[in-house]
Amino acid sequence: MTIIKSFPLIGVLILFLIAFIMPLIKKNSVVKFLSIASFSTCLVLFVVSLNYVIHNGSYFYKIGHFVAPYGIEFSIGIIECIMAVLFAFISLIISWYSCYSIEHDVNESKVPLYYLLINILVGSLLGIIFSNDMFNVYVFIEISNLASCGIVVVKDKKENIRAGIKYLILSCLGSGLVLMGIAFLYSMTGHLNMTFIHENLINSYMNYPQAIIITLGLFTVGIGVKSALFPLHTWLPDAHSNAPTSSSAMLSSLVLKAYIIFLIKVLYRVMGNEIISETPILFVLLALGSLGMIMGSVLAIFQKNLKRIIAYSSVAQIGYIYFAIGLGTELGFVIAIYHIIGHAITKSALFLCSGSIIEKTGIKEIANLKGVGKEMPYTLSLFLISSLSLVGIPLLPGFVSKWYLAIESIGVNKLYLIVIILVSSLLNAVYYLPISIHGFFNEEQSSSKLYKSKEKSVKELMPITILVIAMLYVGVNSEGIINLIKTTFV
Amino acid sequence: MNNIILLPIIFPFLAAIIIAVCNFTEKRRNIFAGSIIFLNLIFVSYIVANFNGISMHVIKMNEFLDIYFKVDKLSVFFSLLVSVLWLFTSIYAMEYMKHEGKEKRFFAYFILTLGVTLGIAFAGNLITLYLFYELLTLTTFPLVIHSGSKEALKSGMKYLIYSFTGATVALLGMLILFSLTNNLTFVPGGVINANLLDNKTLYFIIYVSMFIGFGVKAALVPFHSWLPAAMVAPTPVSSLLHAVAVVKSGIFAITRVTFYIFGANAVRFTGANKYLIILVIISILMGSFLALHQENLKKRLAYSTISQLGYILLGILLLNKNAFIGAMMHLLNHAVIKITLFFCVGAIMYTTGKTKISEINGIGKSMNITMFCFTISSISLIGIPPTNGFISKWLLAEGSLVEGKIGFPVILLLSALLTAMYLFPISIAAFFTKDESNVLEKKKAPIKMLIPIVCITVITVFLGLFPNFVLDFLRAMASEIMN
Repeated sequence: MTIIKSFPLIGVLILFLIAFIMPLIKKNSVVKFLSIASFSTCLVLFVVSLNYVIHNGSYFYKIGHFVAPYGIEFSIGIIECIMAVLFAFISLIISWYSCYSIEHDVNESKVPLYYLLINILVGSLLGIIFSNDMFNVYVFIEISNLASCGIVVVKDKKENIRAGIKYLILSCLGSGLVLMGIAFLYSMTGHLNMTFIHENLINSYMNYPQAIIITLGLFTVGIGVKSALFPLHTWLPDAHSNAPTSSSAMLSSLVLKAYIIFLIKVLYRVMGNEIISETPILFVLLALGSLGMIMGSVLAIFQKNLKRIIAYSSVAQIGYIYFAIGLGTELGFVIAIYHIIGHAITKSALFLCSGSIIEKTGIKEIANLKGVGKEMPYTLSLFLISSLSLVGIPLLPGFVSKWYLAIESIGVNKLYLIVIILVSSLLNAVYYLPISIHGFFNEEQSSSKLYKSKEKSVKELMPITILVIAMLYVGVNSEGIINLIKTTFV
Repeated sequence: MNNIILLPIIFPFLAAIIIAVCNFTEKRRNIFAGSIIFLNLIFVSYIVANFNGISMHVIKMNEFLDIYFKVDKLSVFFSLLVSVLWLFTSIYAMEYMKHEGKEKRFFAYFILTLGVTLGIAFAGNLITLYLFYELLTLTTFPLVIHSGSKEALKSGMKYLIYSFTGATVALLGMLILFSLTNNLTFVPGGVINANLLDNKTLYFIIYVSMFIGFGVKAALVPFHSWLPAAMVAPTPVSSLLHAVAVVKSGIFAITRVTFYIFGANAVRFTGANKYLIILVIISILMGSFLALHQENLKKRLAYSTISQLGYILLGILLLNKNAFIGAMMHLLNHAVIKITLFFCVGAIMYTTGKTKISEINGIGKSMNITMFCFTISSISLIGIPPTNGFISKWLLAEGSLVEGKIGFPVILLLSALLTAMYLFPISIAAFFTKDESNVLEKKKAPIKMLIPIVCITVITVFLGLFPNFVLDFLRAMASEIMN
């Protein structure tokens, strides 16, 4: 049974190793097959290890022969495994989708390179999630940084390069801050392993009141830039709207989330409740999260480009996650994780739908997309269902997180926070619903269009359909998922 | 056998999909749609007759995410009303929708909305009600913007924004309520009994936000302006949805909250009703005054709806048995009366194309049956004895006198006077004014439109002459929730 313990490491290694084979292969179809095969293997491996962790409890997995403070460790718990399953699942779906459409966005000769980048990106994100070693995490952050810039610029257009460079500079700034934070921690404790830093800090944190705050500030700003915490989100709309569709979906649903998981680790595994309750960090996260929830949506209302709207909506949704973390309670933490899952699935479905619409019609502005529901009824229906989740219709995941967030805001005696949640969900309705409404019901535009004339074939719609079904499952089975996340606290 | 409660809700959903997918000929589709709605009426009557009091958890995730259906007296009342009126409207719509076009889409959403409305009727807790309430907005939206013109889209957006905002405000109340009680199930007499004293302000906020939130759909002034705007919809839609289903769903939700979540005493204790009643009085008067100078017939009826809904809300807020019975009676009366008025106006529009009061001089000569029914309904709405409108208004007045409020009956009388002032000119123009220009075509309304009009008028008259079987039922309901 010990081999199961190695599954997370094997998964990460498979992704990296297969990535390096890809450029050697001439045929694009083989590359695509390899990418899908590696993701599905990972999915199976992670499902097995999730099952193992549920039954046998979490464990530390040492890599190489050296024991903890000297060697590198993976810490495998329920949350890590849930995230790994989520990441593998979504990257599998996205790469499946991209198989049909990547040639529209990317030059044929660069297709192997693209799949190489995706594999490396997902591998390094999984590394960030699993690793228990600060410096190891930093290395993975840098890898993911370059890979994610890579999948933005791979399209080779002028605005892509510009967005990519903006993203690269801000992202490097972020990782620089994270590195400084790690340096602070190291000089305070002399360790890089999270468990050891924590043990050391818990005894000595009284000696460094300023240094702790500075460290937390560095991590928050550094990770905030990378995960598009308002007002550090400025790179996101450009990068997400210009990148190829599958890249936008991946950036929005996975890349941002991995960094947030890292911040959660810094807060709770490295620092611990005792230390962070003495600093204003949670309040700052709560305030910035609330700001993001409102401002992200407000900015989205003024956008004209379909993908930019969805990108700004990501800013708002990231605000929800930070809001949940900022509540600082057990349930708040659970909802942060739940919202990461729900949003990852919903947002990738939205990006894939809008990508298909843009690909088939060639129109990016929503003003010209009126009546598109006649040409692509199924795609727009999937888009509508996903956007209803963000608007907050009961039973869908968006509603579940909003409900629990509101209940928890009452629990911590901050009633005014409910107003923020509700206003933000109304704002979501203001910019999401008109897209579908004008798409389906604008007679003046649609009278000249042919029914189903631009619809994608069934097999191309399958990945999006599966995402939407997964989203419904996450919403309907919210109780099971939330209880599963809660078991980490027992 | 508890699963049978799902039948009338799911059956229309399936039927709507069949209509949307299959390419029926016009005649077949009409027969199909009509028989679906008729079958559904039979299902509903069968369930309410044989399975009173059954309940079913469809999905129960935890205390709050609990899709739960229950049949109780209030749902029997509402579901029967909705099913019967839906049937008549479908007959009417078969003829009327010929000149609007896109009948396939219309009937698909029309039947879908029936299922959603019955979901509201049978909802056994607040979260289920909320779910179907939101769905109602989404399924009626395509009906409102049926013509697809720019104006329709604009009104539709207004409708959406108002409804969603209202539902969100109601959700705010639900959230705080759930955190206090951990229970959102509908129980006659309310679920709040403990810790009322400690949280008086909170309960006040909860009740006000829910009342106003659901009140948006019930066209409470100053949140009413979506209703006149939504009159761009085809007449069957305006009549059914905006005089009966949608606005009455708002009222239904408020009734549920007031008597099945809070309970009369708890509401009285918070004191919220004293403040809300001001809004309701403004609705009653303002609706009537605004109706006075509407040229467009449908708009005139829309403003009249705002005023009449105020009566029902007043009855709810008075929180005593007589007023409650009066409110429910008026809910029923207003539904049958207003749907007839709308049908008549629609028939005029369909046969002659006239929409304004100044254009219908002398129309009573050719469309005598239509205008005769219109006049009877107008008299009933004004509340001249022995019509049904008189009974409900009498009960409402009695209810306010029990509370020691002499002002309310005066307002009711004033509003009745105004009702006469905005409805009679239509009949007068139709019957007693000579058509000088002689441009009016001499045509009768088609028989398919006349059947529903006449049938519902007969029901109206019948309710006025023999109201007791309804009143007994309502009395039983009232003593269940207030003892």
